[in-house]
Amino acid sequence: MLHIKNLTKRYSEKTVVDDVSFSIPKGKVISLIGPNGAGKSTVMGMISRLIAKDAGVVEFEGRDLSAWNSKELSKRLAILTQSNNIQMKLTVKELVTFGRFPYSGNHINEEDERIIQRAISYMELEEFQDRFIDELSGGQRQRAYIAMVIAQDTEYILLDEPTNNLDIYHATNMMKIVRRLCDELGKTVILVLHEINYAAFYSDYICAFVNGKIARFGTVEEVITKENLSEIYGVNFEIQTIAGKPLSIYY
Amino acid sequence: MNAAVKKANQKKIAVLIALTVVASVLYLFVSVNMKYFEYAMSLRAPKLIVMLITAFCIGSASIVFQSIINNTIVTPCLLGMNSLYTLIHTAVVFFLGSGSLIARNTNLSFVVDLVLMGCSATLIYSYLFKKTNHNMLYVLLVGTIMSTFFSSIQTTLTRVMDPNEYDSLLATLVASFSNVNASIVAVSLVLMAIIIVALRRELALLDVITLGKDQAINLGVDYDKTIRRLLLGVTLFIAIATAMVGPVSFMGLIVANLSRQLFKTYRHTYLILGSGLIGMLILVGGQLIVEHVFTYSVPISVFITVGGGIYFLYLLLKQRRA
Repeated sequence: MLHIKNLTKRYSEKTVVDDVSFSIPKGKVISLIGPNGAGKSTVMGMISRLIAKDAGVVEFEGRDLSAWNSKELSKRLAILTQSNNIQMKLTVKELVTFGRFPYSGNHINEEDERIIQRAISYMELEEFQDRFIDELSGGQRQRAYIAMVIAQDTEYILLDEPTNNLDIYHATNMMKIVRRLCDELGKTVILVLHEINYAAFYSDYICAFVNGKIARFGTVEEVITKENLSEIYGVNFEIQTIAGKPLSIYY
Repeated sequence: MNAAVKKANQKKIAVLIALTVVASVLYLFVSVNMKYFEYAMSLRAPKLIVMLITAFCIGSASIVFQSIINNTIVTPCLLGMNSLYTLIHTAVVFFLGSGSLIARNTNLSFVVDLVLMGCSATLIYSYLFKKTNHNMLYVLLVGTIMSTFFSSIQTTLTRVMDPNEYDSLLATLVASFSNVNASIVAVSLVLMAIIIVALRRELALLDVITLGKDQAINLGVDYDKTIRRLLLGVTLFIAIATAMVGPVSFMGLIVANLSRQLFKTYRHTYLILGSGLIGMLILVGGQLIVEHVFTYSVPISVFITVGGGIYFLYLLLKQRRA
């Protein structure tokens, strides 16, 4: 289980995350939404130890995150951010192979090799596996990174704006993959999203942030209401139920 | 890495080793007067060894430095060791005179260089890195400012210096492989071995570090500590090379990038070895030409700097097109 208690982050005088507490249910898809600067990415960064917290506790499996050995943690929790600029010549397969680093270091054994191949075929990347990362399209590259996270074989997967810079075809595919990671592979997926409708359609829980605080946290139906969204984003909303999900129209 | 690429890279390493051996043998034996064979060897062998060590130091340090900064057109020159070396030597001649013990005794001046550079490296690049919350850009900025600061002091000193003193100083400010003796070589080798052994764990993490900070942390690397230790190692390697032969500025950039172009891999075992070997080839081959074709009329650092400058422009233009 992942419990977040009184998490706080300040940049000089400005408090960007202010006393945030919530618990992440296991085996579900949880989306963090909110306007720009609400602190959702910072919360994600602190949960994944990429950003140092100023106060509070991130309790993972009963122990504070900072008490974990970084290598052990990397077998349990994976994070994928948007800042992935690699200067090296790296093929898709080599990238996915890095997912096994926490387990086997630089020496890959046969079992690792099997897991890597499974991750590549799960992401339907077989035909690209010997191509260089920098020669792929944005959607393919994103899938290669997801394959690496799958090879890392963690219970928790954190994705920071995975649909960023993708067109609607690839973004929708990305969200379907997120759903499959949860339903088929039993992973807990936590993602930061800007598109409210993707969050509403593909996640189980939604946590909405405003000004560094949690505005609403609950199931999709509880959070995605006309009143809530208007309050969070400060614009007019209409909610329509399509395929059993509350989808929003804003103007 | 698939088997074919691995084999090709191993072959490239083998070819580089063979070429380096050929260059070394040529350097030792070209136009040796057999009558004075032993005397010639006593001059050439230490010089060869010094060149090989320097090349390895600069080559490996440059690759590691580029990888930890995640930028392939930086050189460890940015750390300011060259200008610190120049400043130390100028200050010694200025305050103590060119006849002083430190200026004349190569062993002593080597120790002074090494201690001063080592201490400032530890202070600046280990302590400061921690203080600035592990911000690499701050460290580079500080390095650049330090370089300028040291050079300014050095220029001021040479302006007011006695011209005769300046003349004798100038000789020590150009990279030279001649005034190095066996004890200096031994000390350098021991220090290098200690650094490599101390950093063996961090060196194994280099491949992962090239994925960037976020990915490296995600894969369980203690990023800040690893970078800090590697950075210190790089600075010490450069300090050793500089204390031994003087400023060899552009060479790091050339050899590191040639190695990256040749091997097209992220595997640092190949990159570091390749970079070291290419460095050896350039230094030994260059010195061979300087000694036998130009008969010492042009120092090798001129070739390296001119060649390095042209290559740097080429890299910039190529990056812009890509």
